[in-house]
Amino acid sequence: MNTLCAIIVSRGLDEMLRFCLKSFFESADQLYESVEVIIADNASPRPYTESSLSERRIRVLRFDVQTRFAVACNRCVKECETKKLIFLNNDVFLDRSSLNKMLQNSCRAGIGVVGSWLYFPDGRVQHRGVVFGHGDIGPYHLNRGQFLDPRSPFEEYQAVTGACLMVNRSLFNQLGGFNESYQFGLEDIDFCLRVRQHGYRVLCANAGRPMHFESFTPGRVELDGPSRQLFLEHWRGKYTIDG
Amino acid sequence: MIYYFVPDITIFGGIKVAYQFVDALNLLGVPAVIASPQGKAATWFLSHAAVVDATAAREMFRTEDIAVFSLPHDYESLRKLPGRVFYHCMGTDPLIDPILKDPSVEVLTCWKQAQEYVLSHGVNRPLNVGISISPSFSYAGEPKYEQAVAYMPRRGRELCESVMNTCSSVRYIKIDGMAENEVARVMKSCSIFLATAENEWYGLPALEAMSAGCVVVSVPVRGGMEYLHDGINCRVAGLLEYAGVVAEILSPESMLLRFRLRQNAIATSKTYACSHMINRISRLLNGPLSSWRLC
Repeated sequence: MNTLCAIIVSRGLDEMLRFCLKSFFESADQLYESVEVIIADNASPRPYTESSLSERRIRVLRFDVQTRFAVACNRCVKECETKKLIFLNNDVFLDRSSLNKMLQNSCRAGIGVVGSWLYFPDGRVQHRGVVFGHGDIGPYHLNRGQFLDPRSPFEEYQAVTGACLMVNRSLFNQLGGFNESYQFGLEDIDFCLRVRQHGYRVLCANAGRPMHFESFTPGRVELDGPSRQLFLEHWRGKYTIDG
Repeated sequence: MIYYFVPDITIFGGIKVAYQFVDALNLLGVPAVIASPQGKAATWFLSHAAVVDATAAREMFRTEDIAVFSLPHDYESLRKLPGRVFYHCMGTDPLIDPILKDPSVEVLTCWKQAQEYVLSHGVNRPLNVGISISPSFSYAGEPKYEQAVAYMPRRGRELCESVMNTCSSVRYIKIDGMAENEVARVMKSCSIFLATAENEWYGLPALEAMSAGCVVVSVPVRGGMEYLHDGINCRVAGLLEYAGVVAEILSPESMLLRFRLRQNAIATSKTYACSHMINRISRLLNGPLSSWRLC
């Protein structure tokens, strides 16, 4: 049985997805563990086919109607039996060392979720962990857009981005997966907060220099508003302030 | 899982110490959360502790779980829970005596006087887990107004007013209902901090003021005497002499004294850095609290 399953929700952007998969398998080649990929084809105008992706370790789950990120992810998880899951955005290109470093952290006792430092193509930080500000500020990416290097192998946060998020499948299922009420965005933060409520830790690892273009999918950004509103309705006053 | 039960989210030192304790446990890899009414989180200081609804926590409490509490009123309901119960002693009001008499409740303390009190009440091996100052108070040479005095009027208002009448020419900055980072900013900009609460158990604000580089003028405080050393790192004065001591400290002739007290205060506060508390808890987790790693 495979150990790690990557779940990638993708819509169009065939070339971006191709590079995402290439970087994933290159990183997976550094592992002893075997891997698989499930792509949730989220109503791409030109459907992906397993043959066009020319990799036997990939399965495609087609959604004919555009589906919420959380719904698509939860559906994909039902299709796999691996011990570990990694959720990846199609515009995340892993470093060769990324999976190894994330898995190492993920296997430690008490660790619920492992994310990774992510960088914009120009080297600025896209993600190093999510912190929470007062009132309407809510959750935000710490040091986003700054030139910065990690000083430790990992740091602990209240949440990490779902653009690159590793979790045990058993824990994911125990918590009921991502909250499907979210349109697109912040279901990952909601999930991490629930993980911590169950006593597990959320880490962001220094896992090489994976790249994240961020919000490339057309129409993606417009869905942030309702998700943010829902998040604050659920969580306002129920998280501590660390940012 | 360790559930630290807190009564609410108000601006009260015991709440902050609870979150601080949970943060330290999390940092050391121990699963712990705050259990608060309606799952509300205190947001007036920095923390990354997860918060759960206290009622839900009581309902799902298992025999292998641990409950920690610091408010004596919670004792009656928590002692009925199936797991182990720890009382985090942050004051020595006789109200806590029935808790100390209960052999099924284990006791943690935060400072020496509390440790001595619980020992004198027959508690076997209480564990001093310490207390620490948030790094946001750490003074790094920010400009100070030499004639600015910070005070907290919530307790000891009359004493503050008597100081204001005696030393009317200086600037007074009231600290009330502020978030921690704002309190730290005010303290760092002030020269003097008035610790006027007579019935304070420990007086964490005075210790924070020391960390922020203030000269503290304090009334005697039960637990606080472990860090308040009159004439060395602060001035300790009784009610009758208090205003006179503040006036003396503020006088131009006392400039060198203020400098000396401030330096010693900062040095004292360093012994209450978060890292010290974490090391202390880490040692306990490798010894008498080793079972906490397994819960």
